Amino acid sequence: MSNSFKIAVSSTALSALKSRIESATFPDELDDAGWAYGVPLADMKRLVARWRDGFDWRQEEQKLNNELPQFTRDIEVDGFGSLNVHYVYKKSDRGTGIPLLFVHGWPGSFLESRKIIPLLTKGSGDSQCPVFDVVAISLPGFGFSEAPKKKGFSLSQYVEVSHKLMIALGYTEYVTQGGDLGSRVTAGIARRYGGMHSKAWHTNVLFSMPPENDDPSSYTASEKEGLARWQEFQRSGSGYFQLHSTKPQTLGYSLADSPVGLLAWIYEKLVSWSDNYPWTDDEVLTWVSIYWFSRAGPAASIRFYYEVAHSGQALGTKSSPPTIPMGCSLFPKELIRIPKSWYPGVGDVVFEAEHDKGGHFAAHEQPELLVGDLRKMFGKGGPVYGVVTGRDGYN
Amino acid sequence: MSVELPFQISIPDSKLDLLRQKLALTEFPDELENTGWNYEEAKLNQDLPQFTKDIDVNGFETLNIHYVHQKSSLANAIPLLFVHGWPGSFIEVRKILPLLVQSSPQFPAFHVVALSLPGFGFSEGAHKPGFAPEQYAEVAHNLMLSLGYHEYVTQGGDWGYLITRIIAHKYGGKHSKAWHTNFPLATPLNFSVNPILFLQHLFTPYTAAEKAGIERSKRFEKEGQGYFHEQSTKPQTLGYSLADSPVGLLAWIYEKLATWTDSYPWTDDEVLTWVTIFYFSRAGPAASIRIYYEFIHSANGSQPSSFEPTIPLGVSHFPEELRITPRKFVHSVGNLVFQVEHSTGGHFAAYECPDELVDDLREMFGKQGPAFGVVPGKNGYEQRIRANL
Repeated sequence: MSNSFKIAVSSTALSALKSRIESATFPDELDDAGWAYGVPLADMKRLVARWRDGFDWRQEEQKLNNELPQFTRDIEVDGFGSLNVHYVYKKSDRGTGIPLLFVHGWPGSFLESRKIIPLLTKGSGDSQCPVFDVVAISLPGFGFSEAPKKKGFSLSQYVEVSHKLMIALGYTEYVTQGGDLGSRVTAGIARRYGGMHSKAWHTNVLFSMPPENDDPSSYTASEKEGLARWQEFQRSGSGYFQLHSTKPQTLGYSLADSPVGLLAWIYEKLVSWSDNYPWTDDEVLTWVSIYWFSRAGPAASIRFYYEVAHSGQALGTKSSPPTIPMGCSLFPKELIRIPKSWYPGVGDVVFEAEHDKGGHFAAHEQPELLVGDLRKMFGKGGPVYGVVTGRDGYN
Repeated sequence: MSVELPFQISIPDSKLDLLRQKLALTEFPDELENTGWNYEEAKLNQDLPQFTKDIDVNGFETLNIHYVHQKSSLANAIPLLFVHGWPGSFIEVRKILPLLVQSSPQFPAFHVVALSLPGFGFSEGAHKPGFAPEQYAEVAHNLMLSLGYHEYVTQGGDWGYLITRIIAHKYGGKHSKAWHTNFPLATPLNFSVNPILFLQHLFTPYTAAEKAGIERSKRFEKEGQGYFHEQSTKPQTLGYSLADSPVGLLAWIYEKLATWTDSYPWTDDEVLTWVTIFYFSRAGPAASIRIYYEFIHSANGSQPSSFEPTIPLGVSHFPEELRITPRKFVHSVGNLVFQVEHSTGGHFAAYECPDELVDDLREMFGKQGPAFGVVPGKNGYEQRIRANL
């Protein structure tokens, strides 16, 4: 049974946050540090001042509730009992929408569906344009979903809960879109439920290991550059990944106790992973507030990394690729870029689009481009048109 | 000549009040409410004679350095510089200090200097980027010179290992006469670089202790290095949490205190004192971790082998150290003249096993030891008056 949900942060929580922000203590900064050592002090002071004085959570909360129809329902997960899952759910305005499950990542949330939902559900006014029924889940431990209480809730479980949500909504067949951790979850869905339930999947981040007979001398210049960026990311931008994957609890004390610490932790990625996206302070603060006010608290979400790393499902573990058709959208500032010769390890790529702007948070940074790709992929004349029985996105 | 000023730790009430205010917002006020900091502060001031002095560093601003300095009653005691690491501090000298300065016919005495590294404890931190381990070494060396110790020996673990290694390389022979470490990081042997050692290592089976140590090192690499990676790439981002959240800082440091020691029975007050030094440090808790970033980004970063000291080296192995260096590898660290293996103890050797560490230093520098008399005129023993013939 689904329950309609409205975000309603208690006034106790709001005033507790205010007290912490008011007693915020800042570190110093090295001269002319810029972004080299992490988030610059000036950015932090400005954001915290806004958080303290001007940012109006109630207004943001109301806007979110108005724009995004939200629900919760209990989903059984094998070995973990029932979890109350929060999700956004909007049917297409017309016709029979293609059921699309959108899965966010970290430090994202259901919020990342905000801009693409109107485009996906309304269409473009062009009758050739397909429409979608969109489900944007809050992964367990994120947003307003419950977190698992037991150890070992790993990729398989995120896959299971996401699939079961679609089934519970009456969609025995559906398609998926995901980036960041969402890409791993939707790949897992494609593997386990592909064919019978998941009919096609789209992602904005591709990852696989190189094939056996890989020949690096055949890489194009842009492929080499992409790999170099990935290596640089591992060298200088993946400290968070190592910490999340090994000591999430230790880090969690900071994230749960200090809104300033949480803000820095997330904001660093919002800026460094996007393609010069002009974040407004309120946008950032709304994004971070979702973590601060999340049902399970800010320390819960990062356990995802630990569980995946310790369950034999770490990135790079060999596994056979899903067989259902897949599409990908390549944005230049995405963190990982693999050479085309590695694609067979990812899946059966039937649609690929490359863009000259946009980064890691594709749905938020370039909603029109991303939705344009989904329309091409799933629409009439596209490679997976009609892939969901009886729900082709048209009248 | 910069002036030495006596120093007493004295955290103002306003800072204590703010800390209490923050702690009141957390969920565990009871344990931390009565931190008894004033009592701990008084004990520290009583146990450890402290001072501050301005020290120049080439290419950087003058830094006001905090240090512990205690002379032995024996005039020609061996001057010893003790260098801490992270998440350590000058507090790590606390237990070995009274033992080292002791004078006896049975073992050598030492004059002890234990600095707070820049950015730690009550030393100023550098404000310009690029203040790397070589600069820390320069500060420590200049401090010894300014105290009149033109010839001295060193003891260090963690960052103290690398810093005293640099001291041994740059100032060794003329100033630093010998060095001792409990954290002998060695790079794997390379046939082309040390062919004899390489072959010896190849044909020397690992002891049980070495095997266990190698397993431990692998586990540390796999599960325990997240902090290192973050601190060496985004120390400022992490720094906001450490500066703003005493609870976050406590967790960050306590995790290491517990996992890097050999079942050391930390009392809560011990832990809190240790962490409070970081919380109320002069440069703030975010400053100390910058050493990781500067190390990785420096010209000699990740290449400690570019420092090749030739002065005598002593090594003490403690089984629960983070990285275990097999015996043959240790020879590539420096001119090894003394090596001892212990059956208990971890990363914070001076704090966990003060007696054992001091025994090792007494043996290394003692009358029968390989580094006896290494500082001319200061062998740590009573001068015997010779009758004029």
